Amino acid sequence: MCTFFRSPPYFGRRFWLPSLLLLIMAGCATPPPASDPDALADYQQTNDPLEPTNRVFYAIDNGLDTVVMKPAAQAYEFVLPDAVRTGIHNVLGNLGTPVQLSNDILEGKPRRAGDTTMRFLINTTVGLLGFFDVAKNLGYPDHDADFGMTMAKWGVGEGPFLFLPVLGPSDPRDFAGFGVDVAAEPFLWLGQGEAILALGYSKWALNALDKRSRLLTDIDSIKKTALDPYATFRSLYRQHRQAQIEEMENDDRATVPVWFPQSAPVH
Amino acid sequence: MPSRRFLLTVSAAWFAVGRGARAQSATGRAAAFVKATGDKLAAVVNGPGSTQQKRETLTRIIDSAVDVDGVARFCLGRFWRQASPEQQQRYTVIFHQVLVTNIAAKLGEYKGVSFTMGRAEPDGENAKVDTVVDRPNSPPTNVQWVISNPASDPKIVDVIAEGTSLRLTQRSDYAAYLSHNNNSIDALISAIQHQVEQNQASG
Repeated sequence: MCTFFRSPPYFGRRFWLPSLLLLIMAGCATPPPASDPDALADYQQTNDPLEPTNRVFYAIDNGLDTVVMKPAAQAYEFVLPDAVRTGIHNVLGNLGTPVQLSNDILEGKPRRAGDTTMRFLINTTVGLLGFFDVAKNLGYPDHDADFGMTMAKWGVGEGPFLFLPVLGPSDPRDFAGFGVDVAAEPFLWLGQGEAILALGYSKWALNALDKRSRLLTDIDSIKKTALDPYATFRSLYRQHRQAQIEEMENDDRATVPVWFPQSAPVH
Repeated sequence: MPSRRFLLTVSAAWFAVGRGARAQSATGRAAAFVKATGDKLAAVVNGPGSTQQKRETLTRIIDSAVDVDGVARFCLGRFWRQASPEQQQRYTVIFHQVLVTNIAAKLGEYKGVSFTMGRAEPDGENAKVDTVVDRPNSPPTNVQWVISNPASDPKIVDVIAEGTSLRLTQRSDYAAYLSHNNNSIDALISAIQHQVEQNQASG
């Protein structure tokens, strides 16, 4: 019997349909017997009850990546000079500030929200619609914020590992967070019309190219050095998310304005 | 005549201060060790010489700075205890090769690398040293070095890049391979062997 439905309390009702589809398609991994406590502990720690299904999607994604995304990203890297790609990366980041800002606020991180606001104001104007990241050098560095991280801050657990078609490594919390971030995207509710639609699609396509091209050497070297690339990506994804969340949680800079008499630093 | 309680408090405080100072000097040493090793590595990577020569020099530095046997044991996890002494020995030899060649090959691509030291703090028995690694055309990367025996015989036991630990990732890779191959340590060793040969063939 699959333990997917029984264990996690964070597993909301809205997931039952896609999950059911997944289950029908490939079923669950069989947990090791209780007579082998080490193996059982490993199984629980890995927390990947849908592993057989996940591996199928990994194989599909990997195939798609080899014939579509990787060549496209290579072409993108070949055609455009570094400075232009960095500029595009910055513009995309700048377009993401509304979602980032709402998550900063929902995470209860005022200094991060302040950074995001300043970054948007400075980079949109002085930085020519976000092409140049001027704000970084003025003391407003970028940081990660998405609704998956926000839910983590609220105490929602990550849940079992998921490898999703096209989207890649995830988990129920981050997948739901992704959905919320997409719904919160101003492009979706700013207006209708073909121009907006075209802009939205170009942004998505560019985002995918930007992300993939930044990972070209990393993914190649993982595939070359890992015995089980799927398991390696699973581990890396979780560690990376954990690190992002910890960094956010530990960011407790005081909210004293610069012009206010500063108290002596505590050391 | 000082009371007994006073003496106890003073000695406890003395002990605590001593411990703190020792911990501080240990993390200081760990930081100095990371700085020295990092400088050596960067000098080779950015210096003259053929790729092959650089790899050989890097291999020597990594060999002396990393606790390769300790990392090998860690990466095998619970299977280390299950392995026979002969398997442990074969595994350690091949692991050594794979770790050193992987790191040397990766560092070889880092031409123009530089790093800045961050803070160092105790981490249980170990010490953690933060650095920021800068490469041309890449965003700066936060890299943490975990140093064992910082006071006496410092060695690198883990490298954590942007929150992802090298040895944890390696361990989960091996664990997954083992669980799909009947937990056979011989199968793991020959898979690693095969991978080394393949990577050497492809350069």
